[in-house]
Amino acid sequence: MRLQATLLVLASCVPSAFAIYPDEVNHVDFHHALLGVPSSHSTFFLKPSPSSNASLLYTLSEQSLLGAINPRDGTLIWRQNVSRSSLPGDHGILRASDGANAVVSAVGDYVSSWSALDGKLIWENWFEGEAVTDLELLELEDATAAASSAKDTIALFGGKAGVVRRFDGDSGEVKWEYKDDSNDLPFQVSSSATEVFYISLQSALLKGNKIKVTSLDTLNGRQNHHVVLNSESDVSGPESVLFVGANTASPLIVWADKANKSLKVNVIGTKQVSTLNIENTSGEEIQSITVHTAKKLNSLPHFLVHYETASGSWAEVYHVDLKSAVASKAYSLPFLQSWSVFATSNVDANVYFTRITESELTIVSSASHGILGRWPLPATLSERGVHAVSEVVTKGDTVAVRSAALLESGDWKLIRNGQIEWTRYEALFGALAATWAEADDQEDLAHQLEVEGHESLIKAYVHRVNRHVHDLQYLPDWLKELPTRVLTSLVTDEVSNLDGFGIHKSVIVATENGRVYALDSSNHGTVAWSVKAAEADSWDVKSIITRPGSATVYLDDGSSVTLNTTSGAILDRAAATTQVRSIAFINDDGTPLAIGIKPNGAPMDSVDRPGFFVTQSDDGRVLGWSAKNSKSPVWDFAPVPGQKIIHATTRPSHDPVASIGKVLGNRSVLYKYLNRSLVLVTAVGDNTASFYLLDGISGKILHVSTQEGVDTTQPIASAMSENWFAYSFWGDATDPSDAKGYQLVVSELYESSIPNDRGPLDSAANYSSIDTLPLPHVVSQSFIIPEAISHMAVTQTRQGITTRQLLCTLPASNSLVGIPRQVLDPRRPFGRDATAAEAEEGLFKYSPFLEFDGKWYLSHTRDVAGIRSVISTPTLLESTSLIFAYGGDIFATRATPSQSFDILGKEFSKMQLLLTIVALGVGVAILSPMTRKKRVNQIWKATS
Amino acid sequence: MSSQPLPPVPPPQWVVALNSPMPRPTKAAASIPDPPGFTSSRQGGKNRSQQQSAASSAPAKPVETDTLKLKKAWEIALAPSKQIPMNGIMMYMSGNSLQIFSIMMVFMLFKGPIQGLISTNTVFAKFDTEGTRSKLLGVKAIYVVMQLLLLALGVWKVNAMGLLPTTRSDWLAWESERQPLERAYFALG
Repeated sequence: MRLQATLLVLASCVPSAFAIYPDEVNHVDFHHALLGVPSSHSTFFLKPSPSSNASLLYTLSEQSLLGAINPRDGTLIWRQNVSRSSLPGDHGILRASDGANAVVSAVGDYVSSWSALDGKLIWENWFEGEAVTDLELLELEDATAAASSAKDTIALFGGKAGVVRRFDGDSGEVKWEYKDDSNDLPFQVSSSATEVFYISLQSALLKGNKIKVTSLDTLNGRQNHHVVLNSESDVSGPESVLFVGANTASPLIVWADKANKSLKVNVIGTKQVSTLNIENTSGEEIQSITVHTAKKLNSLPHFLVHYETASGSWAEVYHVDLKSAVASKAYSLPFLQSWSVFATSNVDANVYFTRITESELTIVSSASHGILGRWPLPATLSERGVHAVSEVVTKGDTVAVRSAALLESGDWKLIRNGQIEWTRYEALFGALAATWAEADDQEDLAHQLEVEGHESLIKAYVHRVNRHVHDLQYLPDWLKELPTRVLTSLVTDEVSNLDGFGIHKSVIVATENGRVYALDSSNHGTVAWSVKAAEADSWDVKSIITRPGSATVYLDDGSSVTLNTTSGAILDRAAATTQVRSIAFINDDGTPLAIGIKPNGAPMDSVDRPGFFVTQSDDGRVLGWSAKNSKSPVWDFAPVPGQKIIHATTRPSHDPVASIGKVLGNRSVLYKYLNRSLVLVTAVGDNTASFYLLDGISGKILHVSTQEGVDTTQPIASAMSENWFAYSFWGDATDPSDAKGYQLVVSELYESSIPNDRGPLDSAANYSSIDTLPLPHVVSQSFIIPEAISHMAVTQTRQGITTRQLLCTLPASNSLVGIPRQVLDPRRPFGRDATAAEAEEGLFKYSPFLEFDGKWYLSHTRDVAGIRSVISTPTLLESTSLIFAYGGDIFATRATPSQSFDILGKEFSKMQLLLTIVALGVGVAILSPMTRKKRVNQIWKATS
Repeated sequence: MSSQPLPPVPPPQWVVALNSPMPRPTKAAASIPDPPGFTSSRQGGKNRSQQQSAASSAPAKPVETDTLKLKKAWEIALAPSKQIPMNGIMMYMSGNSLQIFSIMMVFMLFKGPIQGLISTNTVFAKFDTEGTRSKLLGVKAIYVVMQLLLLALGVWKVNAMGLLPTTRSDWLAWESERQPLERAYFALG
C-alpha cells in the first residue's frame, strides 16, 4: 500500500504533456481585458433585456473599442473593435435604448449594430468617405416601429454635404436619405415622435454661425420646414453649441454667449430662444459649461448645467415648459471648491442628478434641491474626475446609486453608495513600454560576494566570516518565523510557493497618458502604484531601463524620469535635450550608461569606452559607430534601391548559450555560429521582402534571403536568438510550385557544414569581427502557418539550457502562441522519415504545414487583443521564463518550454511523504524489539 | 566357572586418540604461535613426505611433476579464452541501452579480468618450481593476453554503450565559446 503510494508520487512527478493546465489558469497568468478610456458621450448603463431588470455598463472607448461591462464586478462581458473605418475617425458614437437588445455604434464611415447581450453583430454598413457626425435612435410610436423590435437609426453623415439617413433596425438597410445641398456645416440630428430634426450651422454674412433646424418627415425623409436661429453673435463653430437634445426628453439646443454671461435655450422646432442669466457667484471665470439631460424618452424635461471654474464648480437645474417653449431656472447646486462630475439617471419619469466631488457623492432629484443621499468617498479618489454615469434605484424615500466614474488617470471606478466596488485601469490600454522591475534586496549581498571574489584567499575568508557574524543578528527573527514557514510550506503546494525564485517580479508599464504603473504579478497583476510621471498630458516613451530599486523612463525629447520601483516616488528628472530616436544602453562593465541616438542615427555624444553602436536613422539606414567617435559612422547599410527598412532585430541582451555545438545522432558536433553582434534587418520593396543578416561591428552582410510575392501590407515579424532567426510574412505564389499564404521561415547558423569542424577560426579563443569574420553556414526551412504573426519574441531562461520557444502574437485570433524550437528545426528530414540517428537528435519528418497545436497556446482561452509587444525575462528557476504582453490588453504568463523540471509538481504532497516516513518509523519502532527478542530466543534454543 | 572368554579389553584412550584423526584446530588455536624451536609438524610432515616420495621414487619424478604442473598451468591460462565467446554473446544480446542489468554485466566483465590480472602470480604460484619457472613465463603471458582479451570485450561493450569519450561531442563541454574582441550596443527601433 505504502509502496503503491510512493510509486504514485514518483509517477506524478513525470509530466504527461506540455500545456497549461486548468488549475494553473489565473495562477501562473493574469490578463487585463481592457477597453480603453471610455468616452464621455458614449458610456451608459443599459438594461439589455426587457424581461430582466439587470443592467450592464456599455461604452465606446476613445480607442474605438465597444464593450459591455458587468457593473457588479467590472468584468468584461463582450467587446468588439469597431475601428474598421477607412477614415481617421476621431471619436465614435454609441447609442442604445432601454429594453432593446441592440447598441448602435458609428466610427468614421462605419455604422454597426450589435446585440447588447452577447455582442454579436446585427448589421453593419459602410459609407465610403462620409464620416458619421451624429447618430440617434428613432423612438417612434407609430405602427411600423411597434412591429419590429429593433429601433431604427438616424445617422448624420458629414462628408462634403450633410446627409441624413434612416437605417432599418433589423437589417441596417437605408430606408431613406436626405441630402443637404446647401453649404451648411452638418452638426447634429434630433428626433421626435413625428419628425426628425437636422441641425446644421449656417455661416452668417460677416462672422459666426446661425443655427438652422430642418424638420424632416420620419417616413420618407422629405423636408417639411426649417427654422433659422439668430445665433451668429454667440456661435462661432460647432464647439460653441453646448448641447443639442437627442429626443423628446430634452428637445433643446443650448448655447452660451461669448462672455459666458447668459445661457440661450431653444426648444427644437420653435423659433423662440430663452435667455437665462448665469449667476456666477464664484468670482472666477467660467472655464467650461456642460449640459446634462435625461436620455430616457418619457422623462421630465429638466436639465442641469454644470459650470466649471479653475478652482471649483457649481450647477444649475432648469425646467423647460415644452408647450410654451420657455426654460426657467429651478434651483442651483452650491459652488464647491473641488472638481465635480455630474451624471443623470432616470427612475420612470423622474430625473436624478448625481454629483461626485473629490470628497463625497450626493444625489438630488431634478424637481427639488433637497439632497436625497450623501456618501463620503474614501480618500483614494484623489484624481480629478472626468465624467460619470450613474444608475439610481429608489425604494420609498431611500435611494441607492451606483456610478461609474472615469478619473483623469484613466481609472474607471464603480462607486456604489460611496464604496468603491471595482476599478478598471483603462489607461493601461495601449501601453507604450514595459519592463520588469529589479528588486534591490539582493543587491547588497551581490556586492559583498563580488568583494569576496576579488580578494585574496585569506582576506576573502575573513570577509566571509565577518559577514556571517554580521548576519547573526537576523537569526532570532529567522528562527521566529521558521515554524510558520515550515507549516505554510506543508499546506501550500510548491507551484504557488515560488516567491524566492524571482517568479513574482513587478512589471513597470508606461502608458500613453503619461503615467507609469507597477503591476504586481504575484497578485493577479493588480496595480501596486500608478504615478503621473509626465509633465505633459502624453509622452512618447522610448525605453524603460531598470536598475535594482529604480526604473528610468527615457522619452523622445531626451528627457528621462527615474522612479522608485517599490513606491513609485519620482527620484529624479533629467531635462529635455534634443530629439532622440532610440536609447543605447551600456551596462556590461563600469557604471551603466544610457546614450540617446539622434534621428539621423548618430549617438548624442561619444564615450571613452570600447565598443560600437548600431543605430537606425530616419532615412532608412542602419549605421555602425565607434563609441569613441560620434562624428562619422564606421559603416552604414542601406538596402537595394526600392527597398526600405521596416524592422531590425538582434539577439536579446540576455541570451546565454548552454552548448556551443549541436550534437548529432552519430555523436559528432555541428558547431553553432555564435556572434553577439548579429543584426537581422527586414527591408521591403513593392512586393519583395529581404532579410539581411549583418555583423554589427564590421557591417558585413553575412546572409541575405529575399522573398518574392510578399504582401508588404501584412505584418512581417522577425526574431533572433542564439544561432537562429525566424521571420514570417504573407507570400503569394510567384511560380505555380510555390506556396501561397502565411509563411514562417526559420534559419540556423553553423560555423561549418561539416560536423566536428569549427570553421576557419577553429579553436581560437577570441575573434575580431573587423579582421576575419567567416561566413556562417545557413540551414533554412519554411513552413506554411495558418495565420499572420504580428510580433515575435523568444523565451529567455537563466542559463539557456531549457529549449527556447518562439513567442508569436496572432492578431487574427487574439492569442499568444509559443512554438517549441524542436518543431522549428531546419534540419528536419525532408521527404522521408527520420533515421534512427536523426530521431535520437529529436528530428522528425518535415511537413510543410505547421499547424499551431492547441497545447502551444499560452493565452489558452483568453482573448488577448491588440498585443503590440511581448517581452520575456529569466527567473532564478532555469525551467521558467516570464512573459509579458502589452500594447493593447495586458497579459502575463510563465512559460516552461522544457516543462518545470526543477520544481516539484502540484501533485506532489509533502504531507503524504511525511506521513509515509512517520508510518515507516513507527513500523520500525514496533518491529525492532520484536525481532531482537526473537533473535535472543533463537540463540537460547540453539544452545540448550 | 564359566570358561566364557572375556570380552576384549577396550583399547586404551591413547590408542583411540591415535587412530582417530585429530580434531580440526579452532581458528583461535591455529593462530597461537608455535613455541620457539618447534617446527610445524604439518609442514614438516609434508616436506618429509615429499622427501620420502622423492627418496622412494626414481630421480626422473620431478620432471614428470613439472610437465604435469605445466599442463595444469596451461589449462588455467587458457580458461578465460573459453569465456570469451560466451561473454561476447551475452554482451551482444544484452543490448546497448543503459540499464541496471547490462551495467551489472559490464561491471562483472571488467571485474573478472582485472582481478585475474592482479592475481596472475598467485594463480601460478603453486606451479612455480625451479624447473617450471622459465616455462611459466610464457604461460603467464598467454594468461595475461587472455585476460586482456576479455577486458577488450568489456571495453568494446562500454564503447558500444556510448560510455567511452571517443567522439567530439564528449569533449564539447570543455570547448568554450569564442569571445569577441569588440562589443556592439544596439539602439534599434
